[in-house]
Amino acid sequence: MASQVAVRSLRKQFPKVLAVAGVDFEVAAGEVFGLLGPNGAGKTTTLEMIEGLTEPDGGDIEVCGLRWRDEAPEIRARIGVQLQATSLYNKITPREALDLFGSYYPRRRATDELLELVQLQDKADAYHITLSGGQAQRLALALALVNDPEVVFLDEPTAGLDPQGRRSLWEVVRGMKAAGRTVMLTTHYMDEAETLCDRLAILDHGKVLQTGTPRELIASLGIPSVVELTFDGTPPDPAPLRARLDVPVEARGALWEIPTSDPKTMLPRLLAAAESEGIDYAQVHVRRATLEDVFLHMTGRSLRD
Amino acid sequence: MDATPASTAPLIGADRAPRAAGRHPHPLKLLGQQFRIEWRLYLRDRGAMFWTFLFPLLMLFGMGMIFRSGGGPSISLVRVQPAQESPRDAAFLRALNEAHLKVTTLDPAAAEARWRKGETSAQLESVGDGYRLRLNSYLIAQGSAAAAAASQAFLVAQARLHGSPEPERIPMVVESPGHAHSNTYAAFLVPGLIGLNLLTMGLFAVGMVTVSYREKGKYRRLAVTPLPKWVFLMGQILQRVTVVVLQTAVLLLAAWLGFGIRNEGSYLVFAALVVAGTATFIAMGFALASLASTVETYGAIANLAFFPMMIFSGVYFRLDSAPKWLQNLTLLLPLSPFLRVLRAVFNDGASLAGHGLGLALLAGWAVLAFAVAVKRFRWV
Repeated sequence: MASQVAVRSLRKQFPKVLAVAGVDFEVAAGEVFGLLGPNGAGKTTTLEMIEGLTEPDGGDIEVCGLRWRDEAPEIRARIGVQLQATSLYNKITPREALDLFGSYYPRRRATDELLELVQLQDKADAYHITLSGGQAQRLALALALVNDPEVVFLDEPTAGLDPQGRRSLWEVVRGMKAAGRTVMLTTHYMDEAETLCDRLAILDHGKVLQTGTPRELIASLGIPSVVELTFDGTPPDPAPLRARLDVPVEARGALWEIPTSDPKTMLPRLLAAAESEGIDYAQVHVRRATLEDVFLHMTGRSLRD
Repeated sequence: MDATPASTAPLIGADRAPRAAGRHPHPLKLLGQQFRIEWRLYLRDRGAMFWTFLFPLLMLFGMGMIFRSGGGPSISLVRVQPAQESPRDAAFLRALNEAHLKVTTLDPAAAEARWRKGETSAQLESVGDGYRLRLNSYLIAQGSAAAAAASQAFLVAQARLHGSPEPERIPMVVESPGHAHSNTYAAFLVPGLIGLNLLTMGLFAVGMVTVSYREKGKYRRLAVTPLPKWVFLMGQILQRVTVVVLQTAVLLLAAWLGFGIRNEGSYLVFAALVVAGTATFIAMGFALASLASTVETYGAIANLAFFPMMIFSGVYFRLDSAPKWLQNLTLLLPLSPFLRVLRAVFNDGASLAGHGLGLALLAGWAVLAFAVAVKRFRWV
């Protein structure tokens, strides 16, 4: 399948920091592609270079098979962008904003259809300044879709949305995908990346650590399960348990995590060891490994840090 | 990681069929639309409406009424009641009244109280056998006129008392330099307020708005759409220009209906001057906006430019009594030459001839501001 977005050796140097240090990836048509990483990893800068907002210091970008240098207006006509913070006129209504932005494009979706899509019909004629954070975020999404774009770029689209708002955004993204459109988004929510994205690039310090489907990334860890012990109150020292089991025990406050590829044998051993060390845990859970574990494994840091 | 394509090959295969995107909207159609939306949003901004349309009218009517003196000159004098009215006092008072002086006679205590309040410009007092004129240093212009009239009246009264021939009075006429207006402060004020409107529009409705759009990321959102940037800027500028035209028309109409003041010069020259001023101050707004990255910094810079011009460029009063060096210095501010030329045309019906220096100064400011604005303008 043809690529809708391709970047190669992309670099961006800010006065004090190398924000993007040589990034390569391709996004296929019809794919939902996620850039995953902690704050400051270079996700937004990468996205803004692809959107034509930031001039790269090196590397190549192609969007819809076009290059910014040659065909900027044509690229802009074909892409939709939701910035991290969308600022509009204070006293414009969602209906007016959609009509206005729609008029900039060669083709456009009907305003009423967009209002319905993001469930803003009730607020269609209210001033922008009176919208709640979530409503403004939904309007920003509708504006990104106003030209029925081939590729949509969403920067942290669910930041600040309530759970219901997040789920309806996911539905919109899935609808885009079903219509054969390409979606590129940044997020630092694991569950979002895992359920929404066909493929992911994990970014840290301006570099792609790994790309793949969420399943591939998790499988690459080689440890599909994690046993969790939780404690009421202050947990004891994990060192004796570590020594007895001879496996890593990640102690994160009142939550200990023991990654394992064989929970069937590990679980009885762990419980016996805890018993003989007198470790008074409150709960035991076995869960499958997540992208959070992948990230922790690759960077030694949690995504939310 | 994905396979990296060879460096010379296109990143995406040529097999991708480009979608039929349709025609891009015509820039002029977009320009018309930007102009309309700018106007619609402007009309919703009550603050802007007040400062644009109501404030200049309030200034014109408020200050025009306070300093109103239509018809003949009205020069007033406070006369301190002498302990005993001598025949000489009575003769002097009669002569004063004949001199079209508005004389208010007060007992010494009341006169002193009024003097302390600063309301008296000139006061006539009896000192021993003679008189003394006390002039308020804050109102020296009015006081001097009263003093001159009083001195003439004194000579008349003296001549009558001595039976000698009365000295001839020199009639006093108060009039504007172009003979068009008789001391109507409102006539002086109208061009000043027009200039102030242009300055406010450039520094705040253009400059401040530009910085705030840039700081809040409005330009970034527009930058990812195919709307050409020049269309956005031109739409904004055209809207501001129509605001200025309307504002000026409203002021001229109010001045005519309220005070009977009309443009004494050519309307064509007057309109050309307003357009030139508008261009200069819009460019100045963009130029100053390129020096600041936050609204707070811009506010400081804009006020630094605004207040000296509002006070020293002759919007509300002439700086005739200021030191010469200060007058010369203020001539360098762009508003000063603009107002001088505009007043000459509007109040005195002058042509542009003889105003070469002022026009050159104005053009110099326009060129400088345009150069800075074009070179330093930033979207992000």
